[in-house]
Amino acid sequence: MPIPFVIETESLSKVYGRQRALDGVNLRVAPGAIGLLGPNGAGKSTFMKCLLQLHPITSGSAKLLGREVGTEGREIRKRVGYTPEQDCHIPGMVGCEYVTYCAQLCGLPFQVARQRAHEMLDFVGMAQERYRKIDTYSTGMKQRLKLAQAIVHDPEIVFLDEPTNGLDPKGQAQILELVESLWRTYGITVVVSSHLLHDVDRICQQIIIIARGRVLVHDSLENLKSRKRGAAEVVVASRHEELRLACERRQWGCHLLPNGHLNIEHKASSLNPLISLLHDMKLSPLEIIPSPNALEETFVQALELSHAAA
Amino acid sequence: MPLHDASYKHWEGVHLGLWHRRFAIAENGLTSCLQNRSIKHLVVICWVTALLASAILFMAGQLLVADSLIVQWVGNLSLELQAFAGMLTKWLEDHPEISVRTTQNVLFYYYSIALMPMSIFSLGMAMPLLLTRDLASNSIIIYSSKAVNLFDYLVGKFCTACGLVFLSWLGPLCATWFFGNLLSPDWRFFWHSRAALAHVMVYGLASMLVLGMLSLGISATSSKEKSTSFYWFLWWILGAVLTPIATKTQPWLRHLSFSFNLDQLAMAVFRVGDDIKVAQDNIPILGDMLRQVSARTIANMSSPEIGNSVLALALMIGAAAWIVAKRVKPE
Repeated sequence: MPIPFVIETESLSKVYGRQRALDGVNLRVAPGAIGLLGPNGAGKSTFMKCLLQLHPITSGSAKLLGREVGTEGREIRKRVGYTPEQDCHIPGMVGCEYVTYCAQLCGLPFQVARQRAHEMLDFVGMAQERYRKIDTYSTGMKQRLKLAQAIVHDPEIVFLDEPTNGLDPKGQAQILELVESLWRTYGITVVVSSHLLHDVDRICQQIIIIARGRVLVHDSLENLKSRKRGAAEVVVASRHEELRLACERRQWGCHLLPNGHLNIEHKASSLNPLISLLHDMKLSPLEIIPSPNALEETFVQALELSHAAA
Repeated sequence: MPLHDASYKHWEGVHLGLWHRRFAIAENGLTSCLQNRSIKHLVVICWVTALLASAILFMAGQLLVADSLIVQWVGNLSLELQAFAGMLTKWLEDHPEISVRTTQNVLFYYYSIALMPMSIFSLGMAMPLLLTRDLASNSIIIYSSKAVNLFDYLVGKFCTACGLVFLSWLGPLCATWFFGNLLSPDWRFFWHSRAALAHVMVYGLASMLVLGMLSLGISATSSKEKSTSFYWFLWWILGAVLTPIATKTQPWLRHLSFSFNLDQLAMAVFRVGDDIKVAQDNIPILGDMLRQVSARTIANMSSPEIGNSVLALALMIGAAAWIVAKRVKPE
């Protein structure tokens, strides 16, 4: 029977010396693709590490997959995958050996571990380089390998700490596509910690914004966007100027973005007026992105409120 | 793109138990150690000595067989040697409980002492592969994020160190005992030499525990590979150099050397001093030769400083555990 909440925390706090990394975090997170957002040093990684029992909790309680974090660490981690932010492979090991070993550490018999290691390396798109020593891998390969070791034991939830760090745009897109498929196609809950809003916006349905160790926002991306309606990004192949003038006639703010898209502030709660305008102009858009900056605006707003409160 | 199905697949098997996971860590560590050519060569040398020692035991056993090739060969050398071999054979037949027990106890004592440096040396070579590399690469975070905790990880690494000690020390000793007696003409040798095996096991397992813990401690002192090996060899060599000096000046300083303490433990376990006394009184000819061993030496061998040595080793193990607890953490 599926559990209603994969993460449950109550007054979860973590203190390092005088610094409060997590300050009374209360959360109930349903399964899905979850984005953990926050500036550097906000407490995102600490939150993940506390849930994985990598760092002991100072006070409060936490449950992961319905189990108490403090007492059932090993059992929890059998069903959890984790890709840390930094490189932390075992030196001298070959890629497929490493993933096999990680599977064995989760309790898979050797033969099964080896077979699954190869399957997961196929899944993350690693070919013959799996037989090379990890020390010789590029950043992109290391990120793929990290993902493979995190999912080799078929976890129910995967924590990904900055999974696109150090990757070029193409590499970022490939990793995000893989991560997205984990939830959408295979039903594995993913928690993506990032300070890159675009990454989270692209693959996550639920957003948690953390700053100064506190949860500022926890809502679905859809709800966040609905709160910020009234703007859209329109991609058209031609007639940009004509569309801009039509918008100005209606007293809608409109400006051309560096990527060639038009940002239109239609001020309505739905896209209908904009679609009508395009219809009247007999202009077929290539793409319409509703509330394109909703996440960024929410993020900035939450941070400002947090700073003001401090 | 792979030609075969590269989609994600779920797995619904049964997870193996905790000891399997710990064993996986130990096995991986030991495999890494044996991939090091120097360690591999050391282990091979240890097993070659085991083969030689088995051959010596085999030849000693052949002295019991009147028409064996060895007896005939000895007899061909001279009549005196033939008489000596005959007397020895008779004595071995009449008092196997003394001859086999005493001979093998003394032999295994010296063999244990001789193999110990090989084991310490191989541990020194393996030092970076125990904890040092994991500290440097931060891979402890990977272990901690799997279905094992830090304790399981350390148990696995401890087993790696013990495995190396077994391969380079206890294994060859036990194999020598087994094959040496298997090739003997009388299978009662197994029974009469049981004390030697028991002593080897007690001493070997105690040393394995001590060396395993100390090597983990030293391995955790730094994240630089060369440093930890250097510290290990420095401690060992300084101990060996200072022990004879400290004997004449400050005897308690000798207990800072783990090899000295282990030597004392060996004397206490094997009680070779008692065996020499028995040999002096009972073994023909060889006993006369052993009478040249001074009473003081026998007294030293019979009464090792076991109390202080055990205390010193316990303190060293405690210090090693403290270093490991302080140093080995995720991040």
